[in-house]
Amino acid sequence: MKIGVCVKVAPDTDTRIKISGDGAGIEESGIKWIVSPYDSFGIEEAVQTQEAQGGEVILFSAGPKDWQTQLRAGGLAVGAERAVIVDDPALAGTDPLGIARVLAAGIASEGCELVFTGKQAIDDDNVQVPAMVAELLGWPHVSFVTDFSTDGSTFTATRNVGGGTQEVVTGSLPVVITAERGLNTPRYAKLPAIMKAKRKKVDVKSLGDLDLSADDITPAVQLTNFSLPPERPAGRKLEGDVDTMVQELVRLLREEAKVI
Amino acid sequence: MRIGDLYNPTEEHAALREMVADFTRREVEPQAATFDEKGHLNVELFGQLGELGLLGVTIPEHDGGAGMDAVAACIVHEELSKSDPGFALAYLAHSMLFVNNLYYAASPEQRARWLPKTISGEWIGGMGMTEPGAGTDVLGMATTAVRDGDHYVLNGTKTYITNAVEGFIFLAYAKVDGKITAFVVDRDCPGFSTSGKIDKIGMRASSMAELIFEDCRVPAKNLLGDEGGGLVHMMRNLEIERLTLAAMSVGIARRCVEIMVRHGQERQAFGQPINRFGQIQRYIGEGYAATEAAASLVYNVAREVGPDVQNRVGSDAAKLFAGPVGKQVADYAMQVMGGSGYCREYPVERLWRDAKLIEIGGGTLEAHQKNLCKDLAKLYPMS
Ligand SMILES: Cc1cc2nc3c(=O)[nH]c(=O)nc-3n(C[C@H](O)[C@H](O)[C@H](O)COP(=O)(O)OP(=O)(O)OC[C@H]3O[C@@H](n4cnc5c(N)ncnc54)[C@H](O)[C@@H]3O)c2cc1C
Repeated sequence: MKIGVCVKVAPDTDTRIKISGDGAGIEESGIKWIVSPYDSFGIEEAVQTQEAQGGEVILFSAGPKDWQTQLRAGGLAVGAERAVIVDDPALAGTDPLGIARVLAAGIASEGCELVFTGKQAIDDDNVQVPAMVAELLGWPHVSFVTDFSTDGSTFTATRNVGGGTQEVVTGSLPVVITAERGLNTPRYAKLPAIMKAKRKKVDVKSLGDLDLSADDITPAVQLTNFSLPPERPAGRKLEGDVDTMVQELVRLLREEAKVI
Repeated sequence: MRIGDLYNPTEEHAALREMVADFTRREVEPQAATFDEKGHLNVELFGQLGELGLLGVTIPEHDGGAGMDAVAACIVHEELSKSDPGFALAYLAHSMLFVNNLYYAASPEQRARWLPKTISGEWIGGMGMTEPGAGTDVLGMATTAVRDGDHYVLNGTKTYITNAVEGFIFLAYAKVDGKITAFVVDRDCPGFSTSGKIDKIGMRASSMAELIFEDCRVPAKNLLGDEGGGLVHMMRNLEIERLTLAAMSVGIARRCVEIMVRHGQERQAFGQPINRFGQIQRYIGEGYAATEAAASLVYNVAREVGPDVQNRVGSDAAKLFAGPVGKQVADYAMQVMGGSGYCREYPVERLWRDAKLIEIGGGTLEAHQKNLCKDLAKLYPMS
């Protein structure tokens, strides 16, 4: 079975984001790039499935070919067999639907029967691409999955639906599964595997290679302006005896915070 | 981290550093204080190093290792030492003093006999050079080996041997007809034993003891190389040993810089963060500069150390300079932390105790000074 994983490379979780001079993006220099953590759960689940069922795990990314560094360290070194990166100038301004079209075309061209990905990327938190990929492929999808199993033709996926309730979804392949934290614990890349990953294949493709053109991914949504959240004001310490402090606290909650 | 810089020359080096740093944060840091207190190796955690493929870091891929270089070895030692230098020392004794040393001294048959179980971590290894009567003066060692049929009979004692408590297999030096010769001795050799643990101030997450040879019968096929060839193996391996010890010092120093920079911002005194005080700024500024100088030297030399490249001057200089930096910067960090730095609740006092070893083990500072003078005199002879 060919198992696909859609992977995005994003700034590390503790990056201090700075807005670029023109306000339409972020300052990229000095950022440490990593495989978006939810996608790592997807990779791990794909590799575990491959270990149980046989087959091949293929990574798919729509982004700059430089992402291959992170795809090797975070994917090919932990069990994925190869990677396909679609790198095309037209991708720069596209939106989630454009990205989904590219990924779906890649997945279709490889004939995958099962696709994993993170429930969202940790940079822009759109939570849109996986469902769009499934729709474009004409497959069902199960989101926010915390437990997954397949016998190669049917699958069972568990998802948390809030309030402690769990929903168990069963169906037959193909399917797109999006990974929630808790689905698994991604393994460490073993050193010999890091060395072998350097020899694994990364195909860099253009839109044309997938029979797509720039027109197919014209964005419906454009990002025009970024701003940082306001700085959190310093904390305030109330002084005096307990009665005074309580009175002052209640006054502040009512008059300043306006929460009571 | 920038791929292609001095510290991460290739993508694989960067991925290795990332993996070891992640493992160190998640698995090594949480147990460090406990095993410092217990005073012995965390054998279970050591086994995980085997699973990660780190025990054969410098061994070529076709012989079951990772096929990486001295820079990679420095990366692993530096990252582990940020949390647990004692554990890193056990790693060094196994993967540098035993595995790497063995590999370059052994025949293909011997490699096949010992490498798989030591690269996987099933057997823990160590190396015995130092004796009660001969440390710096290695040539003065008194352990002897005498050929007897298809065995050698060893007599003598090695002391301060890291991993002697938990280890199964050791590379030991003994004199055959007065010439230093290398042997592999394991616990199945009759007449071989180890002493009780020798307690110590730091590096307590690794344990050390004596190796005792009492008419110890070692199969002749355990001789490494030729009779009298031990000195060459020993000297060749000392370079990567010194570099990785120096890299441990860099790891300690880098962790201590991070600790004091954070503490300097958080701790308030006289109504302001203490990093506003010039005296504190001096600890932070000079500590950082010394750390980066040591790191640059160590990694620069590491690029020029390998099985076919000798760089004795470089590795002696790296350890002579970097050795004291770990101790110095740990001391600065303790000073910046004040009383809390002296307390067990925080890692600095442990790093401070651990750091001192690097001025002694693998060659004392004085030994490096002595070697450098001798080697430099050959470089610049009298005119
Ligand atoms: C924690 C720890 C782990 C160790 N692990 C191992 C191990 O795994 N395997 C192993 O074989 N050994 C190991 N050692 C031993 C270590 O390598 C020796 O302690 C070291 O080489 C110094 O030898 P020594 O202790 O005999 O000191 P000595 O050689 O007696 O030195 C005492 C002092 O005299 C100085 N001195 C000696 N000769 C000269 C000279 N010619 N000129 C100027 N000054 C000189 C020294 O620099 C030092 O200051 C370990 C030691 C420790 C503390």
